[in-house]
Amino acid sequence: MDAAFLAQLLLNGLVIGVIYALVAMGLSLIFGVLEIVNFAHGEFYMLGAVAAYFLSTHVQLGYWATVAIVVVGGLCVGYLLYEGLLVSLRGEGFERSILLTLGLSMVLQNLAIYLFTTTPRMVQGPLTYANYTFGEVRIPVLRVYALGLGLAAFAALFFILHRTQVGKAMRGVAQNRDAALMVGIDPRAISRLAVAVGIGLSGLAGAALAPVYAVHPLMGFSFVFKAFAIIIIGGLGNVSGAAIAAIALGILESLASGFLPQVMVDGLAFGSMILVLLLKPQGLFGRGVRV
Amino acid sequence: MFKMRRLFLALAAAATTQLALAQQGAAPIVIGASIPMTGGVSTFGQHSRWGSELAIDEANAAGGVLGRKIEMDYQDNRCNPAEAVKSVTQMLSSKKYVAIFDGLCSSAALAIMPLVERAEVPFVVANASATSIAEKSGVGGNKWTFKVNPTDASMLDALVAWLDKEGKAGNIAFLGEDTDFGRAGSNGLTEALKKRGKSLVMTDFYQKGTADFSSVLAKIKARKPAALALYAIDADFQNLMRQWHGMGGGIPLTGRVLVDQVPKEIMASGVLDGTTSVQPYDATIDSAANKAFVEAYKKKSGGTTPIMVGFESYEATRILIDAIKRAGNTNPAAIRDALAKTKYQSILGTTLEFDQNNLLHNNAVILGVKDGKVVVFGFSKT
Repeated sequence: MDAAFLAQLLLNGLVIGVIYALVAMGLSLIFGVLEIVNFAHGEFYMLGAVAAYFLSTHVQLGYWATVAIVVVGGLCVGYLLYEGLLVSLRGEGFERSILLTLGLSMVLQNLAIYLFTTTPRMVQGPLTYANYTFGEVRIPVLRVYALGLGLAAFAALFFILHRTQVGKAMRGVAQNRDAALMVGIDPRAISRLAVAVGIGLSGLAGAALAPVYAVHPLMGFSFVFKAFAIIIIGGLGNVSGAAIAAIALGILESLASGFLPQVMVDGLAFGSMILVLLLKPQGLFGRGVRV
Repeated sequence: MFKMRRLFLALAAAATTQLALAQQGAAPIVIGASIPMTGGVSTFGQHSRWGSELAIDEANAAGGVLGRKIEMDYQDNRCNPAEAVKSVTQMLSSKKYVAIFDGLCSSAALAIMPLVERAEVPFVVANASATSIAEKSGVGGNKWTFKVNPTDASMLDALVAWLDKEGKAGNIAFLGEDTDFGRAGSNGLTEALKKRGKSLVMTDFYQKGTADFSSVLAKIKARKPAALALYAIDADFQNLMRQWHGMGGGIPLTGRVLVDQVPKEIMASGVLDGTTSVQPYDATIDSAANKAFVEAYKKKSGGTTPIMVGFESYEATRILIDAIKRAGNTNPAAIRDALAKTKYQSILGTTLEFDQNNLLHNNAVILGVKDGKVVVFGFSKT
């Protein structure tokens, strides 16, 4: 087997896996803290990409400024989303949360189609066509940036969840909302923060990937369903599990693409999900405590 | 006797005037169109609309058809067969449509065909390219369906004939979307190569909406084919082009490469040099008829250059309007019979007549990329 070909597949898989992780971590965090399945998550990723397209193309902002503004925008949208819509979903609101986020997804997608049209847009910048080359292995510079941003986001989130008071409070609310309230944690503030961070992460994914993929209103749809499979494989609500499952799935898909018909690749995520549900229904990294 | 003749002439003149006046106020002739106006290929739907509306505007400016204005009523099918069936069923049940236009997507057009056959209303396919549409039409099949644009099979036969002439028809790999469109491309290419004693070295399909092609492209490059035939559109095509550039290209592309939609930076980089593509139309064709069409289209669309969908819809609508005129009335059977006898002078220079499968055989445009620029290599008969 050609070593360069294998290295190219592994590198591609790692990048795709981190891209999946960026979307899946936010979804997992929101589920972990609020027990809400956010069907609109893909649309926030799409809106992040659309915002990045406008900032870089029409406002002529650079890559890092665009990423920073979109992430801050995502955090604000997450804050408003919680206070405006999700705060009312308490207790037995699981079914309502599905209907609400599914409806929100449709509204956002169609609004984007109306305002933006479905014509795919390409972000052009000084690094758009730049590549790193290692012998016969090539990787676009902007994919390496997306990889770096994804890894940095994972490290930061892991640090926050496991080494800070806020993170411990998030894990406490995820474990037992009432007990957390009894020890002085404000579940509303923590939930608000979790949604803000979750939407901020999807904004980061959108901004990091806008210069990599074509930007259009339907781009979130395919990603979010794969992200659902990933968080089920990783263990519902387990952010680290979601990140590991995402990277493993990215590499597995890439290797499969190299040796199997491409049409079989999309089935891998859902096939793995079914297998995990049969053998370990709580997910590969599922534990009693989420997040 | 002389008085009688004058009286008769006066009465005839009065009747003609009354008839003309009545026709001025008569209800318009309405054609029903089912095209994607929302969803992933709504860009093509918009071009289809510009093309057909331009043809209708021209017909109405020239006095209409049979003394009446002509209108097209557009319904959204989202490129979804179920939506197409819903929209066309509603149109057919209202009985006010003299013909059904397009479908745009092959799956949608194939779903519409049995409906128009049952309702006995002519169906003019402008854009859907699946070969099976023509195979199921005409003698021994659906007599109400007429396909104006070339089929994938005929387009690819024209392309392979050209490649074979140039000695480039061997060792071709195929990558296309996993839809009727992509499958028809693969089948068409396989058949065209088989006729010349050749075959595809590898065939791969991807799910429509796929964003990342880096690994499948790495696989294709590792197999080192002489050319890669692409059957991709819309965002998939844009992603493929960017990722192909990221991998440094290195293999000439062929098939239905949408060279007019490649970002100029990628085109100028030279990574697509050596590409040979086949298209039903290209806006840069250097003829007076095409220049006039491009100018009118841009005026209609607010400055957008026509793509093949707009061109095909324009010509298909003109053919349908011409058939209604020649039918002399709006009876669907009369329009169908008039369509079958079409003799239409295309913008591409050929006189078109439907064959026994109700299919027209226009020229295919062979396009290539040379020194980072798109060039029209020539025409090849479909």
